[in-house]
Amino acid sequence: MSVPRGAVHAKWIVGRVIGTKMQKTAKVRVTRLVLDPYLLKFFNKRKTYFAHDPLQQCVVGDIVLLKALPERRSKHVKHELAEIVFKVGNVIDPITGKPCAGTRFLENLSDSENLTEADTTYLSEKLQELKVCSSDK
Amino acid sequence: MPMKGRFPIRRTLQYLSQGDVIFKSSVKVMTVNYNTAGELSEGARKFVFFNIPQIQYKNPWVQIMLFRNMTPSPFLRFYLDSGEQVLVDVEDKTNKEITEHVKKILGKSKETLEKEERERKKLSHPATFGPKKYHLRECMCEIEGQVPCPAFVPLPKEMRGKYKAAMKNEA
Repeated sequence: MSVPRGAVHAKWIVGRVIGTKMQKTAKVRVTRLVLDPYLLKFFNKRKTYFAHDPLQQCVVGDIVLLKALPERRSKHVKHELAEIVFKVGNVIDPITGKPCAGTRFLENLSDSENLTEADTTYLSEKLQELKVCSSDK
Repeated sequence: MPMKGRFPIRRTLQYLSQGDVIFKSSVKVMTVNYNTAGELSEGARKFVFFNIPQIQYKNPWVQIMLFRNMTPSPFLRFYLDSGEQVLVDVEDKTNKEITEHVKKILGKSKETLEKEERERKKLSHPATFGPKKYHLRECMCEIEGQVPCPAFVPLPKEMRGKYKAAMKNEA
């Protein structure tokens, strides 16, 4: 049998980064659904993997896709970072391609092009008031 | 004494084995992003509630991850062995439609399943006897019309080795 990739059973895994304290290595927690034999219900079972991250671009909390290395890099590191699926704080919705947070899109929060005349005059008045206050002090 | 939970039928082996989505061997990871509120995500929520246990039962080596309330639109994403990613938009679909779609794009076809079934049948010969793990029947006495098991019904005198040996000695 050919073993071109994988000294390890898991070729591709998706997990969440839990630690980046090691140099060029990310600690990734992977959850799989495992059937409890008595309850017949699926529960998440965690396992931590170490992944090689040469550019140190992972932050704790990223969702990350790991690829198995052809041979082990060190005693524990058998995977490398293939792609950051969701960056924490900067999630991009793959269907629309726009940044989002939770269930809202973030892109058109401050659309200064769509402000009406009344809005701009109101805002400039408020700014004037602020200027007056600061000069008083 | 009814089972505990909201739809406890999901936790029966019969329901789990009724799942008909069996993934091709190239599918490694399945990711489901859905929202816990909103009409558009209703089908995705039902899919996660009812169909994911069936899929995981039939595909124990596929990693399934669920993400809640990360993006406004619900979707499924499959990561294949070749590095390819398949994105399936699930907004405004019922859970039945989602399973049908997934089965069509990434499920093993009926012919492949039948072929595998035949291959497995070829390995074991149905006419042999032995332990239940490897054979259908353990002893000839289990079959109707054959001599019943002497543990339950004593053999007639003529078939017993003791009688046969005595007759031979006499002659």
